Amino acid sequence: MSGKKILCRCEDVTVEEFRKAYRDGFTELESLKRFTGVATGFCQGKGCLCEAAMELAKLKGVEPGELPPTNIRPPAEPLTFGELASLEVTPLIRDLEDDRPGGRPAVTAAADPDPIGNGGGE
Amino acid sequence: MSGSIVTIVFEGKRLGCRSGISVAAALWENGVRVLSHSPKYGRPRGVLCARGHCTNCLMRIDGVPNVRACQTTVRDGMTVERQDSGAFYGDIAQKALNLGGGLMPVGFYYKWFTKPAALARTFTQVIRPVTGVGRLPDEAAIAEDKRILSAPGEAEPRDAGSWDCIVIGAGAAGMAEALAASGRVLLVDDTPVLGGQRRPALDVVAGQGLLDRMPLLADARGKLVELADRVAAAGNIETALSTRVVGAFQPDMFLLADSEGLSIARAAEVRWAGGALDVLGLFVNNDLPGLLGPRGLYRLLTADELNVAGTRAVVTGGGFDLWLAAALLHARGASVTAAPGAPADDAGGAMLESAARLGWRLHTGMEISEARERGGSVSTLILSSRNGDGARAEVACDMAVIAGRGKPAYDIAYQLGAELVLDPARGGYVPRGEDGDRFAIDLPAGSPLIVAGEAAGALPRICLAQDEEVNA
Repeated sequence: MSGKKILCRCEDVTVEEFRKAYRDGFTELESLKRFTGVATGFCQGKGCLCEAAMELAKLKGVEPGELPPTNIRPPAEPLTFGELASLEVTPLIRDLEDDRPGGRPAVTAAADPDPIGNGGGE
Repeated sequence: MSGSIVTIVFEGKRLGCRSGISVAAALWENGVRVLSHSPKYGRPRGVLCARGHCTNCLMRIDGVPNVRACQTTVRDGMTVERQDSGAFYGDIAQKALNLGGGLMPVGFYYKWFTKPAALARTFTQVIRPVTGVGRLPDEAAIAEDKRILSAPGEAEPRDAGSWDCIVIGAGAAGMAEALAASGRVLLVDDTPVLGGQRRPALDVVAGQGLLDRMPLLADARGKLVELADRVAAAGNIETALSTRVVGAFQPDMFLLADSEGLSIARAAEVRWAGGALDVLGLFVNNDLPGLLGPRGLYRLLTADELNVAGTRAVVTGGGFDLWLAAALLHARGASVTAAPGAPADDAGGAMLESAARLGWRLHTGMEISEARERGGSVSTLILSSRNGDGARAEVACDMAVIAGRGKPAYDIAYQLGAELVLDPARGGYVPRGEDGDRFAIDLPAGSPLIVAGEAAGALPRICLAQDEEVNA
């Protein structure tokens, strides 16, 4: 087996491939995520997001604090459709329709482009 | 653990396993270290996080693909298969296919095989199974899913209740937060005992009578036991163990998962003490089976009681977890080599004396630069000097644990609206707030979020000296 430094185990991305993608013009965490697959696998970045961002800070020559993370949405761990189907959804829908003080206006889950309210992203 | 034996069928072979342990542990004890192959390069992968977080142990179990072997308990007659291209096409075909990995570099799917559209689908159907995402579930498994989906109202939906405060994480920091919170408190942790991931490991070490001359570990266990006793005695704290918080929805709704399924809890206030994740680091062959982080090791050696008697184990890195991992391995009969990277501080000095007395081999001032494999699992670690003098050591091993500062867990804090900032000095992404063991941050909605312990980018509270502690 050849020696590789693996940056992202889920998507099998090496440190070298990540650097090459940067040299090819993918210079932001969001575009690197989409192009290389880093932080898009089964673990959703638990294994590689920090490592990828620290490597990018080195490549760009910026302070790590200048690199915000990619979006991190629920669920935090994989769930089966069976588990989701067992959930009572009425309170979830009622909540989304509520006009809470400081909350967001009424939307359906499907139409809300940013259901967890962290802004930006896909 | 009942001590009885069950039989599972792994790729046609019948394997005897201790009942009550995970599939991943059962395969390890039967000499199977390779649970999957990586999607592109076909690299062998073994149990790693042992917490259901990572991709390494996804297997086809009883006809269902993508089941986490580390989270699945063995059952008599269970069928277990690898689901990658080796299982799909046979090992020789897989090796041939892996040669093609170099022809399909990162991002190739954006460039090649995309036109014409009609052929793109065919290409996808050919390439996809090769990558090891598995075949579709067996008919029986599909029928079971259809049964559940067609009758969602069959079981009474579960409600995890309304609380004045939810505390996520029951390690030292989380227990202290639960005790400090007022009103009715729900304390949630994904491990089965109060005290977080280190408590069961410390209990095993204590059970072997090793703590007398390890004040570092004895102090830590003392703190955890005291906090757990106080939590158990507190009338206002309810605990939900073996339960994961898998989602947070602003401002007050939390999605909980346990072995029974999902439920929703509501809480007016939230305190985040979700701890940290293992970091293995970026060295050559950092993905080999047999390489573990301390948290994965604790889980495998305690919940699964993985048999490591006679295993040659190296523990590298540094900090509290290096010594706890080494002591746990020793307590379970492994032959231990400790390779702390930094010169020992006062606490580590006492551990070095214990190490010498217990017959551990020692390499100090070294860090891991490469791992080598034999038979798909780690066989040798190459250690090199940290001070640049070119010193090098090769250590033969069956297992290597890389300890050190963990990455703060951040997902739930982020979902609640906390801004994350990358801070290498604090281990990774942490909620933006004050430095320290505990701080409060304002959220877009609801009450302020309190972040505590390793999730705040601090060192584990149980290894801080008394005067460094922040009183919650």
